[in-house]
Amino acid sequence: MHDSPVKFSIKGLDLWYGKTQALKKIDVDIGEKSVTALIGPSGCGKSTFLRTLNRMNDLIDGVRIEGSVLYEDADIFAPGTDVIDLRKRVGMVFQKPNPFPMSVYDNVAYGPRVHGVKDKAALDEIVERSLKQAALWEEVQGRLRSSALGLSGGQQQRLCIARVLAVEPDVVLMDEPTSALDPISTAKIETLLDELKRRYTIIIVTHNMQQAGRISDKTAFFLMGDLVEYSDTKELFFNPRDERTENYISGRFG
Amino acid sequence: MNDTSATRSVGTRSVGTRSAGTRHRAAIGSQAVAFTAIRGLSILTIAVLGLILGFILYKGLRYSNIDRSAYLPYAEDAPDGLVVAVNSGRAPGALDWGVLYGMFTDEYIDWAKIDGSDDDLTPIAIDPATPEGARAEAFLFGTEEAGGYPAWGGLVQTASTSAAALAAVAETPGAVAIVPEAAARGAPGVMTLPLRRLVLAVNPEVAEFVDDSYIEDLSGRDVMDLLSGRARNWKEFGGPDLAVAPVAPPEGSVLAAAVRSAGLEYPAGPGSPVPGGGLEYLAAIGGTSGAAGLAFAGDAAVAGLPAAMLTRRTSGWNLTIGYLLEAPRLSGRTGGISTIIANTFLMLLLTVAFAAPLGLAAAVYFVEYARQGPFVRALRLGTETLAGIPSIIFGLFGFLFFVNILGFGFGLLSGSLTLTLMILPTIIRTSEEALKSVPRAMREGSLALGATKLQTVARVVVPAAMPGILTGLILAVGRAVGETAALLFTMGSDYQLAKGLFSSARGLSAHVYLLFSEGISFDRAFSTAAVLVFVVLLFNFAAKRLIGRMNRSAAA
Repeated sequence: MHDSPVKFSIKGLDLWYGKTQALKKIDVDIGEKSVTALIGPSGCGKSTFLRTLNRMNDLIDGVRIEGSVLYEDADIFAPGTDVIDLRKRVGMVFQKPNPFPMSVYDNVAYGPRVHGVKDKAALDEIVERSLKQAALWEEVQGRLRSSALGLSGGQQQRLCIARVLAVEPDVVLMDEPTSALDPISTAKIETLLDELKRRYTIIIVTHNMQQAGRISDKTAFFLMGDLVEYSDTKELFFNPRDERTENYISGRFG
Repeated sequence: MNDTSATRSVGTRSVGTRSAGTRHRAAIGSQAVAFTAIRGLSILTIAVLGLILGFILYKGLRYSNIDRSAYLPYAEDAPDGLVVAVNSGRAPGALDWGVLYGMFTDEYIDWAKIDGSDDDLTPIAIDPATPEGARAEAFLFGTEEAGGYPAWGGLVQTASTSAAALAAVAETPGAVAIVPEAAARGAPGVMTLPLRRLVLAVNPEVAEFVDDSYIEDLSGRDVMDLLSGRARNWKEFGGPDLAVAPVAPPEGSVLAAAVRSAGLEYPAGPGSPVPGGGLEYLAAIGGTSGAAGLAFAGDAAVAGLPAAMLTRRTSGWNLTIGYLLEAPRLSGRTGGISTIIANTFLMLLLTVAFAAPLGLAAAVYFVEYARQGPFVRALRLGTETLAGIPSIIFGLFGFLFFVNILGFGFGLLSGSLTLTLMILPTIIRTSEEALKSVPRAMREGSLALGATKLQTVARVVVPAAMPGILTGLILAVGRAVGETAALLFTMGSDYQLAKGLFSSARGLSAHVYLLFSEGISFDRAFSTAAVLVFVVLLFNFAAKRLIGRMNRSAAA
C-alpha cells in the first residue's frame, strides 16, 4: 500500500500533565483518507496523543506541550489558531456514547446549528445525509423527534458518529469507540469505518488488536509515552521491528 | 454490621466459647429493636405531618363556632304584621332586633358590621304622622315609652307613605325601611329580612354577680330545661342559689303568639299565668325571685330586665368559591381573598423573574467559569451562610435598602427583591449541583464539535441540568410563598389588588398572619392558610409533573 498525502505531521511532541510526562518526543506523519490505529496498553499515551490532535487537552488544567503538530502544514498550537475551526475540521467520537439529552434530530443538527446553519431544509438534508453515512438512518428515520437517550448503545454511538459527520469534518478521531458496545454493534461500526475512510481521515484508538488489524491501514504502537513503532498494519502485526511491539501483540503484557 | 457480627460469632464458636452465640443473638436482637424504633419513628413523623396538614385543611374548609347572642335563633318573617324591607341586592339573612333598632338610632352608619358590605346605611322612616308610620315607630320604640327616631342630624330619612319608602329602598342599595307586610308584598326591587327578637329575660337577681357565681352562657337546651321546669335551681347553670321560676306570657298576647309560632311554648310556672298585658308580664319577671321568661328584646330592655346570654354551635363551609373569588373588605373581616391570591402570584412571578436568571447565572459562573480558588471558595461560603440567615434579617435589609435607600417604598417591587435575595442562595446551590451532575462527556462532545464554551453551556449543559434547576427553583419558590416576616417590612399590607410595582400589596401568608394577630377572624385565617397550603401543594405537584415529563422525554 502506497503512502497517501500527509494530513497530520507531528514533530518532537512532548506533553506533560503537571510534572508527569505523558508523551515523549513523538514523531509521526498521518496520511489522509486512511485509517490509523493507535494501540498500546492502558496509560501509554495513545488517548492523550489523540486528544492533542484537536486540542481537547486544552480543557485539562496543567497540560504543557512542546514540539509541533502540523495539520495541513499549519501548527495547531501556533498563537492565533482558531480552535473552534480546528475542532470543526477534526471531529471526535468518544469511548462512551455521549448523545445530548435531546432528540435524535437535534443531536445531529447540533453541530451545524452552532456553526450557524439555520435553514430548516438545509438542516433536514444534513441530518438525513449524516444519519445515512453513519448507517443509522434506516433505524431511526421514524423516530427523529424522540429522545436520543432511548436508542441502544450501538445506535447511540453511531448517532455520535453522525453528529460528527454533520459538521463535515476532514478528520475523525475515535477514542475506543466500540469498547462499550456489544459485538454486533461493534461489527456495524467497523463496517462503517471502512466506508468512511474513503472520504475522511480516521485516527482510532483501540484496545482490541484484532480490531486494529481488521480496520486500519497503519498502526502506531505506544508504550509509556513513547511511540515505539509506526508502520503499515500488516507489517506491524506480522513483522514487528521492535521487540516490545512483538511482546505486546503476542499478548505477553498489557 | 451484620456481616462482621456473623463472622465474629462463627470464628469464636469454632474456638468453643459459649457466649458467642448469645452475643450474636443479642446483636440481631438489638438490630431488630433499632429497625423497629426507626420504622416507628418514621411512621410517627409521617403521621404527625399528615395530622397537621389534615387539621389545617379541615379547619380551613369547615368552621365550627360557638356563637354568643342574647337572641333565640328563631326569626319571624313579619312580626306584628310589619316587615323589614331592604334592597333586593342585599345578602339574605336574619336581623337581630337590636341591630334593627340600632339602624334607626344612628348606631350604625353602614352595613359593614351588619352583613359585611360597604354600602352606606340609609334608614327610611315613614312619617310617624301617618298610621303606617305610627305603627312602625311604635314597633321600634314602644307605645308607652317616650322615644322615637333621633330628632335631627341623624341618618334617618323620612318618606311620606310606605309606597314612597319602598320605592326609595328599591333605588338605594343600603336602604332599610319598616313597612306593613301587605304593602311590601310584591314590591319590585325589595326583599324582606326576617327578624330575631325573642330573648330570655331573667330577674335581675339571677344575673347579678354574687359570691363568684354568675350564670354561664346557656345553650338552647338549657333554655328549654329552665322554662319547662326540668331545671330546678339556677346553681345548675353557675348562677345564684335560687329556685327557677318560669313565667309564661299572657294568653292571647302577641308575645304568646310569637312564642307559639317559634315552637317554644312552655307551661306556666308558679309566677304565672300573668293576667293582663305585656307590661304586667315583664313586671312579674322583675318581681319574682328566680323568674325567667321569653320576651321581646325591646320590651325587656324598656322594662330593665337583663337577657341571658345564649350560645349556639354553628358550623358550615369556611372556604367557599365566593371566598376565593371575592375581594376582601374591612381588613379581610368580610369578603374573600381574590386580590390576595392575585398579589401572591404577582409577587412570585416577579420574584422568579428576578431570582431565576440571577441564580442560574451565578451557578453557571461558579461551576463553568470561575477558577476554583480562594475567592470562589469565599463566595460560595458566603452564599451558603446567606441560605441560613433568618428571613426577618432579609426583611430588615430589604426595608433599609429597597424601601428607604432606593426609595421603592412598601410595594411589590421591594417585596419581590427581598424575596429574591432570600431565595437566591438556595437557587444557586441547587443549580450548581444540577450543573455539576451533567457528565463531562456531554461537555466534551459539544466542544469537540467546534461549539464554543458559551454554546456548550447554553445549549447542552443547562438544558441537561434543567430538571434539577427547576426542582431547586420550585423548592425556593415554595419557601417564598410562605414567607411573611420579610414581606411585612417590605411589601406592605394593602389587601387591594396591587396597581403597580410600587403598590403596597398583601400576600396569602401575610394575610394569615394579620387576620390572626389583629384578631380579625380565626376562621378566615384558617381558610386562607388552607389556600396557602393548597398553593404550595400545587407547586410541588406541578414541579413533579414537569420534572417527570422532562425525565420521560429525555429517557424515552
